[in-house]
Amino acid sequence: MSSTLHRERLEDVAFRAGYAAVLAFLLLPLVVVVVTSFSKAGRIAFPPESYSLVWYGEFLQSARWIGAFVNSLVVGVGTALLATLLGVLGAFGQELEADAGGDGIVGAVLVPIVLLPLLVPPVILGITLLLYFNEVGLRGSYTSIVLAHTLWATPLVYFVMRSVFSRFDWQQLDAAHDLGAGPVRSFVHVVLPNVKHGIFVGGLLAFIISLQEFVMALFLSTPSTETIPVLAWTEIRQALDPMVSVVSTFLIVISVAAIALAALVTNLEWVSRQLS
Amino acid sequence: MSEITLDGLEKRYGETTAVEDVSVEIEDGELLCLLGPSGSGKSTTLRMIAGLETPTNGSIAIGDEDVTDLPAYERTTSTVFQDWALFPHMTVLENVAFGLKMGGVSKDERRDRAREMLERVQMAAHADEDPTTLSGGQKQRVALARSLAVNPDVLLLDEPLSNLDKRLREDMQIELREIHEDLEKTFVHVTHDQDEAFTLADRIGIMNDGELIQVGDPDEVYERPENRFIEGFLGDTNFVDASVTAATADGVRVDTELDAELVVTAADGTTPDLETGTDLTLSLRPEILSIHGVDEERADDAGVRDARVAADGGTRNAVTGTVENVVYRGSTVRYSVSVGNSSMFAERTDASTGALSAGDDVRLEWDGDDVLAFRDDGDRVMP
Repeated sequence: MSSTLHRERLEDVAFRAGYAAVLAFLLLPLVVVVVTSFSKAGRIAFPPESYSLVWYGEFLQSARWIGAFVNSLVVGVGTALLATLLGVLGAFGQELEADAGGDGIVGAVLVPIVLLPLLVPPVILGITLLLYFNEVGLRGSYTSIVLAHTLWATPLVYFVMRSVFSRFDWQQLDAAHDLGAGPVRSFVHVVLPNVKHGIFVGGLLAFIISLQEFVMALFLSTPSTETIPVLAWTEIRQALDPMVSVVSTFLIVISVAAIALAALVTNLEWVSRQLS
Repeated sequence: MSEITLDGLEKRYGETTAVEDVSVEIEDGELLCLLGPSGSGKSTTLRMIAGLETPTNGSIAIGDEDVTDLPAYERTTSTVFQDWALFPHMTVLENVAFGLKMGGVSKDERRDRAREMLERVQMAAHADEDPTTLSGGQKQRVALARSLAVNPDVLLLDEPLSNLDKRLREDMQIELREIHEDLEKTFVHVTHDQDEAFTLADRIGIMNDGELIQVGDPDEVYERPENRFIEGFLGDTNFVDASVTAATADGVRVDTELDAELVVTAADGTTPDLETGTDLTLSLRPEILSIHGVDEERADDAGVRDARVAADGGTRNAVTGTVENVVYRGSTVRYSVSVGNSSMFAERTDASTGALSAGDDVRLEWDGDDVLAFRDDGDRVMP
């Protein structure tokens, strides 16, 4: 009896250790990137021979990098807004439809179409969209990149919202209608306050997706709309200096901060539910 | 005026029919209970009156207005939901004021009216609390206040008491009854609990399998149920399979699985024309049965007894059997008695007189005109 228990504990420890090792192995490159960003030398080397913030200074003085940073923020915020709107409405529509009795046009047709971009290789999407946007005169605009990123981000927001809505008590919507609130007002006054944290998390997710996306942005951006990953790629091809590490560090920090924020928001919701 | 007219109401979900051809006139100021087992379509019917479900066929009118195509938020109905559906992101007061806010009532006025409503249901002290912290009974009161605050013409109650414990439920039934008398509004109350329906209702509508089988006063549906389902649903009874041996003016003689020939009579002397061999189901409610112990000597010739004429002119029936078990149920004692190849139960309200125990031989007696008889399609034929 006690030997089984002993063995179980041993297995548990071994599993955890193995899991931690795999995770560490996967995350190690991030550490390397962050460390090299503090390098003083002109070439990326790990570990750096001496440390300084000189490349951070370079970054802040480079109009091109700052421009790319702004571009990424603009595209990221645009994507977050559009993808959140579409993802929330899609998930909400499907819930309403299911509530009214079974799958209709939203569940059977719209949702599979919305999910499709996740399955198409980004290179193909990028080329196709480039041709398409040329035709409709959106080439090189922020709009074109936002739309491309939205194709990817919308299904993810949709998945987040499906799970958020599955925890929503739909009888509340009935109650709101019953008390005289029309479709818009019942959504604003009753549904929204109950799912706002979920919407926020979905929006952050869309923002991160956009921030990291490279392939489609490469096809669709011009020098005036190039995003950070696009510029980084261009720069790496010319010189492997620690500037790339600095930029990557910024991206990592922003992503981690966004995830931390999302976790904080959902946890606050959880904490407040535990307290009530 | 806010009488409700349902005409040929039907609701289908794909292949399944939830509500089928429901037609009823609910009078202004009446409290109608829709009573039926779960899945009988009573909640769906209520939700169609509220406008929360769209009927597949048929029409709904409130007063003179056809509201069939009117969405819920434009109807003058208000619903108390089974799980109360209070808004968790609002305080109790904000919950009650919500309908007024949607109705465009000014901030000060809606706060005053919401407070008034909370006082009416004795929840004013909890006005600023988070509704999720309330007990079931308190939530129920808040939900009621929220629905009444919009001053609806019709109040719809979708089993709001079913999640409360028995004691609280009974208190709330009385309170609801008082509120109804006070407001003189039309109430439609859905429940699966026959006691609740009898306590509350002016009239009861019995639903089963999506159909409204019978609408009537409580005593009418209890004493003269239209079919066998209602008889079984409205309380415990002994169903006995029988077959007609002779139908005379004095009553119908039947052969039964109790190994006894019994007589069913109609109190008004009308006997239906039933052919010999017609299959019937008799219903013998425990309250019409009297149970007596049989002495040892008489038990020998017992076994089976035929019907005999009782002193009051009605036909007295009797069978004998053996007590199988005794269940003490507080105010009553219930005896299971094996009779012939079958088993019946009877009750005594007073446990002290002549205590019977398992194994005792007993005689069960009843009046022939207290028995209900149903044809095999379920329709009542007698009385």
